[in-house]
Amino acid sequence: MQDTLLTIDGLSAGTEDKPILHDIHLELGSGQTHVLMGPNGAGKSTLGHVIMGDPSYQVTSGSITFDGADITDLTSDKRSLAGIFLSYQAPVEVPGVPLYSFLRTICQMRPELKTTARKFRERVGQICEQLELSDSFLMRELNVGFSGGEKKKVEMLQLLLLQPKLAILDETDSGLDVDALSIVSRGIEAYRAQCDGTLLVITHNTRILERLDVDRTHVMVRGHLVAEGDASLVGEIDASGFSRFEDELAAKGGVA
Amino acid sequence: MAEKLAANAATKLSHVNVPPAQTWNYLRINDIAFEVPAPVTKGEVLSRLPRLFDAVETGIGTEAASWIVSASGDSRYVEVKAGTHRAEPIVVDVDAAAGTVCDTGVLVREGAEATVVVAAHGTPAEAGTTAALVRIVAERRAHVTLVEVVALGKGSQHLEGIGIDAAEGAMVDVRQYALGGEKVAMGICTNLAGRKARLTQDMRYLARGSEQLDVNHVVRQRGRLTKSEIVTSGILADAAHKTMRETIDLIHGAKGAEGREIETVLVAGDDVVNKTLPTILCDEDDVAGNHGASIGSISPEQLAYLADRGVSTADAEALFARAIFDDAVIHAPEATSRNAALSRAELVLGTEIARDVAEGLGLDEGEEH
Ligand SMILES: Nc1ncnc2c1ncn2[C@@H]1O[C@H](COP(=O)(O)OP(=O)(O)OP(=O)(O)O)[C@@H](O)[C@H]1O
Ligand SMILES: [Mg+2]
Repeated sequence: MQDTLLTIDGLSAGTEDKPILHDIHLELGSGQTHVLMGPNGAGKSTLGHVIMGDPSYQVTSGSITFDGADITDLTSDKRSLAGIFLSYQAPVEVPGVPLYSFLRTICQMRPELKTTARKFRERVGQICEQLELSDSFLMRELNVGFSGGEKKKVEMLQLLLLQPKLAILDETDSGLDVDALSIVSRGIEAYRAQCDGTLLVITHNTRILERLDVDRTHVMVRGHLVAEGDASLVGEIDASGFSRFEDELAAKGGVA
Repeated sequence: MAEKLAANAATKLSHVNVPPAQTWNYLRINDIAFEVPAPVTKGEVLSRLPRLFDAVETGIGTEAASWIVSASGDSRYVEVKAGTHRAEPIVVDVDAAAGTVCDTGVLVREGAEATVVVAAHGTPAEAGTTAALVRIVAERRAHVTLVEVVALGKGSQHLEGIGIDAAEGAMVDVRQYALGGEKVAMGICTNLAGRKARLTQDMRYLARGSEQLDVNHVVRQRGRLTKSEIVTSGILADAAHKTMRETIDLIHGAKGAEGREIETVLVAGDDVVNKTLPTILCDEDDVAGNHGASIGSISPEQLAYLADRGVSTADAEALFARAIFDDAVIHAPEATSRNAALSRAELVLGTEIARDVAEGLGLDEGEEH
């Protein structure tokens, strides 16, 4: 048996006036790769943000256990330090902060990553090379004026630097050209190999999964997890879409 | 050259940093007054610079500018020959320990390229005044980069007056870092006189304790199709006072001119005083002027993103402060300005972080000493 890294038990959450997620149960084994699929607006990103502790959502019931500890009430900065990473679908621009200053700060605050500035520069340089990202980006303001693909690469850069125990990748593949997609896929593969990280990959696109061994696939429809299967479920969805799952949910009366 | 000023014989400069348009005085931000040492030479003193510099308007105003001219006792003139690229920056070194007051004129001839650095640093023996007046004339298609680093501390008051004239097609890039000083006035006026002359200006500041920072940013857009883009951002902590006057003057005849200014302020102290006077003067129909300001704290989206990477709100403020120093070190083109920023970083951020800034940005290799 594998250790469980993340357990979501009976979780319901939403914004102040709108429930979005309903009675979610999800278990991720340490070192596993899970895929989360579902139509637009199903609540996939919301689930990612709730796992990360985004204060704009409220958990109305249920719990989240990570690495043996109940983190349901922990703030996001603490969850991050505990080893959870959420790669944004749309990374935020932070004017006034050079990328270098940001990366250095987020690494230095983690005892396991603390190192000299020189070694840090070396490490960042290597990863930049791996991601085919010019290191002149380090001197630019965080995400400001970066193209969509560049922003995604900067998210990957952080993933590889921080080596979190759990990485939730929210449509990291969307908006990438063919070359960038393969660079990013190799980055994810490297993350898996380096630290035996656990992955929850949210995607609409099967290409990013080609290089990964998928352990489990989950389907979300209108805030419900409606189906779970092995890697073959990805192919099935790719071929015939979500209507089957939507119909099943409607038949059960589970309309939000 | 540097000259120690008699501290007791005081002169009052009543109108420093006066913006082009006076407004009803409700915020009382039409100017700032300074008590400065009386110049050693009494009476009218003419600038020793070539006459063409007399016509260059500076942001700090004529009263302060003529005081600097007379108190400096000497002046420095640099000419960059037409079509040349001067690799070595022209450095105006203002040392608080020496009470530097200086007058500099730089003529960048047609098509030439030059970098001017103004670095104010050090600690006065007791309380002291420093000042720099820098006037720059950029001829046609010249390219001027100006980097100002004001990195003073306790007991320092400082006046920094800049005037730039830009002829047709000239490009002016300005970076201003206001990193400290008890009472600091920075006034810059750029005259985009020629067709298609353009200015980009980026100011970052950090004011804390009871520091007082007074800024006057003026752009006169006279030429057709001139362009200006002014970005100002900073942090105010503790009981710092900041006054910012931003004026874009789109003068009659400047058809197709565009001017844009944006200001963001991060207020991180309960006793902060933050005053801003943005003005767009417009005497021409065919122009575009734009002002944007956001005052307050880091946006919730930014805080959420930073928190998701382990940075708490308190950490975020420290990160923004550090970032100003990192940015200054990144853009300081030579050792005097870089060291000025670094020694100020040591006082503001602590030795450990300051060393980290220095080492991380490649300054420990000893190439720049
Ligand atoms: N902060 C919010 N405020 C209001 N509504 C929200 C908020 N966040 C999410 N929603 C709503 O919740 C639903 C789920 O959104 P979510 O972004 O999680 O979907 P998704 O599955 O990630 O979709 P996509 O595939 O398009 O990225 C949507 O209807 C969305 O409009
Ligand atoms: Mg989404």
